[in-house]
Amino acid sequence: MNAPLKICCMLLLMLAGPLAQAHIASNGFLNLNVEGAQVSGAIELAIRDGELAVGLDHDGNGQVTWGELKSSQTALQNYVLGHLRLRGDGAQCRVGFNPVQVNERVDGTYLWLPFTADCGVGPKRLSIDYTILNAEDPSHRGLLTLSANGAVQTGVLGGASVIRIFELDHPSSRSAFIEYLRAGIWHIWSGIDHLLFLLSLLLPAVLLRRQNRWEAVPMAAPAFVHIVKVVTAFTLAHSITLSLAAFDVIRLPSRLTESVIAASIIVAALNNVFPMVTAGRWRIAFAFGLLHGFGFASVLAEMGLPTGARLVSLVAFNLGVEVGQLAVVLAIMPLAYLFRSTAFYRRGVMPWGSSAIACLALVWFVQRAML
Amino acid sequence: MSKSVSLSCMLWGRLFACFAVALLGGGLSSAQADPYVPRTENAVLAELSAGTRFADVTARRLARARVDVAIPLAQFYIQQARISGDLRFLGYAEAVLAPWVKTNPPLPDVLVLQATLQQSRHEFTAALATLDRASAARPADPQALLIRATVLRVLGRYAEAGPACEQFSRRVEPRLGALCTQSLRGLTGDLESAYAALTQISSQGWLNAEKSWLYSELGEMAVRLGRDDDAQQWFQRDLTLVPTDFYVRAAYADLLLRQRRPAEVLALLKGQESFEPLLLRIAIAQKQLDDPGLAQSSVRLRTAFSAELQRGEAVHRREQARFLLEVEEQPKLSLGAAIENWTVQREPDDVLVLVNAAKAAGSPAAAEPALAFARTQGQTDVRVFR
Repeated sequence: MNAPLKICCMLLLMLAGPLAQAHIASNGFLNLNVEGAQVSGAIELAIRDGELAVGLDHDGNGQVTWGELKSSQTALQNYVLGHLRLRGDGAQCRVGFNPVQVNERVDGTYLWLPFTADCGVGPKRLSIDYTILNAEDPSHRGLLTLSANGAVQTGVLGGASVIRIFELDHPSSRSAFIEYLRAGIWHIWSGIDHLLFLLSLLLPAVLLRRQNRWEAVPMAAPAFVHIVKVVTAFTLAHSITLSLAAFDVIRLPSRLTESVIAASIIVAALNNVFPMVTAGRWRIAFAFGLLHGFGFASVLAEMGLPTGARLVSLVAFNLGVEVGQLAVVLAIMPLAYLFRSTAFYRRGVMPWGSSAIACLALVWFVQRAML
Repeated sequence: MSKSVSLSCMLWGRLFACFAVALLGGGLSSAQADPYVPRTENAVLAELSAGTRFADVTARRLARARVDVAIPLAQFYIQQARISGDLRFLGYAEAVLAPWVKTNPPLPDVLVLQATLQQSRHEFTAALATLDRASAARPADPQALLIRATVLRVLGRYAEAGPACEQFSRRVEPRLGALCTQSLRGLTGDLESAYAALTQISSQGWLNAEKSWLYSELGEMAVRLGRDDDAQQWFQRDLTLVPTDFYVRAAYADLLLRQRRPAEVLALLKGQESFEPLLLRIAIAQKQLDDPGLAQSSVRLRTAFSAELQRGEAVHRREQARFLLEVEEQPKLSLGAAIENWTVQREPDDVLVLVNAAKAAGSPAAAEPALAFARTQGQTDVRVFR
């Protein structure tokens, strides 16, 4: 499956509530999480597949209730024990179950059976022997998501090839860190909107507003403090929302975020042309930074966070964003400081450059909010 | 200056309030798909339809020992799959047949059912191989001949489909045989006269399924001839007779969509969302209408298609291509799916899907193989060739 499609699926699945049934072929979902010696996971089966496996509808009225499912728990566990065998480096894992729950998927309700497996000391190889519903419905497949020490693999289980073997590589959380760090840098550089916003707030840092005119700051110190304040506020704000969104605490529609990000650039740039907020620009940086964080989060959501290394990857991505942002600030601000007293900077770059940025952002805003 | 600051503070205060509202709204609307414990014992988790109960598994176990149970049971499941569009029934049929396919040699009836299953899954090459085995055991079985003609036709191998059709004609009532041959002629350069010939056929005394076959062929021919009003009549006639004919319902919906009558599509397909090809038409209609239901339909289609893709199956590739183009507006991705679809099946609709995707993706040359194929066969299709 191609990546963009998959991403769409994942994103929209998260937003989807319970829906009526769709007729897709029978799929079970096996999630496994290997961390060191600990293997935890869950098997998810459609209620109607559970019915085929062990018979859930005890009163035979054609409906499966939660009460019936709960009372079939032992039967289900035994069925899974008999039809899903896990081996770590050749040795059978000992599986223990936790209480059954249910989960809503697009094609109906699924039973969700969580378990832990004891597979000895840090297995290097996991073999999965999946024969669930093999006799009852040979077209049934188990869709596997296997996270091992930060790396995620997927696979299709069942059918003719009953036993599948997966290699679990260990040192991947370091490579995940580098990958996400790079993604963060790349994102801030290619997503020019975040930079334009920051730049609009930083352009006046080397100037002072006096009697409706821009004047060069006499010394480097206040300019430096100004820059540090703005950059810190922006960083702090977008880190907060990026983390909240990455851990699914808050989610915003991307159309809204993207539109408001465009609007934030307009506001920041126009503030240079028609100054309203001349002191404490860091407040603007903070307020809108919150929104920009959601923008970063949508990129991160597209990449997906590896389950075993969510925090590490999130930190790496955020660090990447900061590194990329600082690099740009360090490249531009010394130049701005150097040229601060020229008319070119005060009457050219400030009003005209800012206007150009505002115009560009206006185009984005119209595209994102209205089209 | 202090004045301007307080003014701007008010401005920011208001903006901030806006954000807070937006944040809250976002938080509320993000319904999570996480496992949960239902509130009451009586909460109904699923409704089980006929043939999906645990007791049926017992019948299936019995079928492992007795072929006279296995064959009708498999037929029942295939029928259920057709009526409901539920692909799981094909799996149940497969389970019932599995031990009987492995016997040496399998009964011809078992092989024909096996080929039917393979055809339903678009495993066309495998279906043809199974039919070869069936005809070795029992030559000129009408059902086997008809499946062979159908499969070859879907593959665009008209020269081979012809003999299968003729053989079929010799074994069944002549009017049914004519239906097979004329439908094939309609794809190989004689659409106008084949259509005229079929309109003359009397379907008196036919089973509903046979009449339905005639009407659907006529409807599709009329579409390719550009006689939309005729097509609509044939489709309506068919649906009055066999309301569960998903295939014709989809073709009818396509006609309405082309005529920009999305509201009628929604009315036509109301309550049939569980069948992906129909759900696709619903989504396209919702897109034309700017209907808020589109988001939900898209999620369901994406989920279904992505599961199919992960499983490496090709059942709905044509629909995937259309979904990507007409709902998702991803012409490049759609073209990829359409090209892959063309390697699997070559019906007029497959030509159309490929041509549309190639045009939208800005690489019309990608559709050239399909266009060349249709031209060589002398096909008429106003949707493709204006």
